[in-house]
Amino acid sequence: MRRKIWFPLVFIVLVAVGGLGATLISGNSPELGLDLQGGVSVVLEPTSDASGDALGQAVDIIRDRVDALGVAEPEITRQGDAIVVQLPGVKNRDRALELVGQTAELRFRPVLQDLTGSEVAPPDESESTTTTTAEGAATTTTTAGGSTTTTTAADDAAAGLPLGESAGAAQEPTTTTTAPPPTTTTAPGAPAEGAPVPLTSRQDDTADATVTLPGKDDEGVFQLGPTLATGQIVSSARAEIPQGQWLVALSMKGGADGIDTFNEIAAQCNPPSAVCPTGRLAIVLDSVVQSAPTINEPSYSKDDITISGSFGEDEAKDLALVLRYGSLPVELERQSVQTVSASLGEDSLRAGIIAGLVGLGLVALYMLIYYRALGLVMIVGVGISGALLFAIVSWMGETRGLALTLAGVTGIIVSIGVTVDSYVVFFERLKDEVKAGRTLRTSTERAFKRAFRTILAANISSFLGAAILWWLTVGSVRGFAFFLGLSTVLDVIVAWLFTRPVVMLLSRNRFFTDMPGFGVARGLASGQPAARQTAPAPGAGR
Amino acid sequence: MTDKTAATEAVTTDDGSGDGATAPKVKRRSIWTRLYHGETNFDFVGRRKLWFTISLVAVLIGIGSLVTRGLNLGIDFEGGVVWEVPAGDASVADARNAVDQFGLAGATIQELESDEGVELRVEAEPVSADTSDEVTAALADLTGSSVDNVSLTSVGPSWGEEISEKAIRALVVFLVLVTIYIALRFELRMAIPTLVALVHDVLITVGVYAVTQLEVTPPTVIAVLTILGYSIYDGIVVFDKVDENTRLVSSTGGLSYGGMVNVSLNQALMRSLNTTITALLPVGSLLIVGSWIMGAVVLQEFAIALLIGLFSGAYSSLFIASPLLAWLKEREPRYRDIKRRIDARGGEAAAVAAAVAAGSTVLGSGPSHQPAKTGAAAGTAEDTRVVTPAGRAIPPRPRKKTKRGGR
Repeated sequence: MRRKIWFPLVFIVLVAVGGLGATLISGNSPELGLDLQGGVSVVLEPTSDASGDALGQAVDIIRDRVDALGVAEPEITRQGDAIVVQLPGVKNRDRALELVGQTAELRFRPVLQDLTGSEVAPPDESESTTTTTAEGAATTTTTAGGSTTTTTAADDAAAGLPLGESAGAAQEPTTTTTAPPPTTTTAPGAPAEGAPVPLTSRQDDTADATVTLPGKDDEGVFQLGPTLATGQIVSSARAEIPQGQWLVALSMKGGADGIDTFNEIAAQCNPPSAVCPTGRLAIVLDSVVQSAPTINEPSYSKDDITISGSFGEDEAKDLALVLRYGSLPVELERQSVQTVSASLGEDSLRAGIIAGLVGLGLVALYMLIYYRALGLVMIVGVGISGALLFAIVSWMGETRGLALTLAGVTGIIVSIGVTVDSYVVFFERLKDEVKAGRTLRTSTERAFKRAFRTILAANISSFLGAAILWWLTVGSVRGFAFFLGLSTVLDVIVAWLFTRPVVMLLSRNRFFTDMPGFGVARGLASGQPAARQTAPAPGAGR
Repeated sequence: MTDKTAATEAVTTDDGSGDGATAPKVKRRSIWTRLYHGETNFDFVGRRKLWFTISLVAVLIGIGSLVTRGLNLGIDFEGGVVWEVPAGDASVADARNAVDQFGLAGATIQELESDEGVELRVEAEPVSADTSDEVTAALADLTGSSVDNVSLTSVGPSWGEEISEKAIRALVVFLVLVTIYIALRFELRMAIPTLVALVHDVLITVGVYAVTQLEVTPPTVIAVLTILGYSIYDGIVVFDKVDENTRLVSSTGGLSYGGMVNVSLNQALMRSLNTTITALLPVGSLLIVGSWIMGAVVLQEFAIALLIGLFSGAYSSLFIASPLLAWLKEREPRYRDIKRRIDARGGEAAAVAAAVAAGSTVLGSGPSHQPAKTGAAAGTAEDTRVVTPAGRAIPPRPRKKTKRGGR
């Protein structure tokens, strides 16, 4: 019997103290959500129905992109159909937003005409029937052709023009020795036409349409043919600087879904054909031409494709990123953006913690006054719950990237109330039993059994609520639900492993039961020392 | 709280003379003492028409306001963009000029005082991601701060709808599951009042938001959903007691179902109050310390709804759910007959009083169909102790004359 009491008690105390100790020693602390430390949160949703697999893949790709940005501890999760990207403490916010936002399909389109320099009319986004125009011009101008053309691009390079550069170059060190050195080609802008060229709106930018799209940073305008391939054919891409000049080295996937497709395109562009009259292949992402290099070879080997030109380091790296991760299997749309400055986050955290501590203090005081020594049991019990919670949250922050958000902090504060409720239920039941004339000792076990039923029922319904919230909602509601649910589970565990044995032990100790003014008996309003039989209640009021 | 302390103090001083408590005496005790000992005798069930009317009026006012004025929904539900930036030297008019060029003529622009000086807040209808980035840059330019200091919150219109939809779906699923759970754990007739009480609490909270036109934000929704948890916790504590006391209902015992529910409510009253108080303290602290004193506005969004819901939850479990349960149960033939017989005999007031006076003594050990033997005025402790062993599987151990002498 004794062992039965002591074992769970020692166990839970050891676990709590051990967990807390290990957490503190290893320097872990709960990972703060971005509303507590500042940062950006973006919610993305597919524009059309997407399979779970596709979304999962999209999450992976976005994660890679964000990782490549060097954001510390980003959190990218799928919540239902939505993808939530949290970038706590991100430095270069706009760049991050832009990269995360670039979620559309990466498309390779032939350049029909380089309209750079032409006057441009912005697309009329409201009219989805806007048709792509200037088709007549499709076959007229060919500005850059030839397989090994080299034109100067110095001017463009100086201007940092990201799309004037370009050139595909193939080096096949093992097979042929005829590979030309990387070359630079610049397609000078097509002569301006009289009327402004209308740009294709985003919703009209479908894969099979002929479109007119702007270059990156609004530099240049291109008329492009139907999509020849998507980013799926790319297996990897990286920025390199082999000879003092940044370039992007590409690898294609093997087989029909990779290099074969690419070579078909290359054959059409070199020499230029009707499909690809300019010999240039545009890399289009999100209705923006990222780059439009000239294809210099009719055929490439899959690991030996480079795009060179007047790249700066950032441009080369961005292009590599886009090529590597540009192609998401679904089109995503930014649904919500939230940015929180670091100072605001800190203030909220401090306020939340202090409010929580004050609340806890008040509850403790109330319980002490009301239940006397049993109030102490509650305080220690809540302390144990707290230690376990802290250890679990820290641990999950470390291993699962679980972040403590303001909603989570609120969930925890709210759960103080729920946790204490369980003690109240137990102590009131104990009071009933003692009033019924039982000794405190005999009452404890009975009272706990009955009270535990109530606690369990109530906690199960709370947990049910938390679980449903977690399942069916997104964003901050989820964080809240998680912490509420976690505290519910801890509440039941602590009630069984800690409260029960402790109260049983205390009830056997006369020092605690009979201590004048503070003893358990006093707290339970049994008019006389608990060990003695008593009448239900002392009579005579004031 | 101080009152309660006073009450307990009073009991201490009475220690010596405490043995002779009898039912009639109960009436002379202070309300706090009776409350403390679960010996109050409020008529929760009998005056149910009054409570229902009060709630109905409150709910109707809320619904009326909801229909006529609607809720003051935040941008998270309606969609929109908010920029906040340290104002620097820029004025509202400057900001207006800056954003007008992006076609945001309808934007609301305010100056907000914060700890770190004046902030400009621009709120506008939803715009495209590109435009919002451009406005961010323009505002940063205008105020001379870096782009990263501009806090941007943007919510697409469909997203807001989706959030609301999800919340409502979560609410419905929650209600259904809880109904099932309670029906299994207790019985279906208990699930219905719980459900009614839940809907009541949600309606009251929403009603308060409609009347006061406080802004509804995602934290508000979270809070409302949490209230459900609380409300159920409260309800279960009470119903657990009712469930346990059900066997007291008998015509010979003089207790109808309604009377029994009333007894149970009075017994569980302190428990309900305590759970509510201990839940209110942290939430109140969230509102007063966190939000008002320390200025973390977000906390207020949680706390106000929680506070309203807590009060409503405590009220509804006592005044709505339980009387409703009694009413439902007394429609069952068995309990109706009991009620009729008792009424024929002149009511159950005495039995209720006795049961309350006997306190949880009888009921707590949950035995018998005959607690009322403790009878009209004779509900002394000794009596009940005699009765108990006749009861259930776990009779109290006969440790009457204990080893410990005490004082």
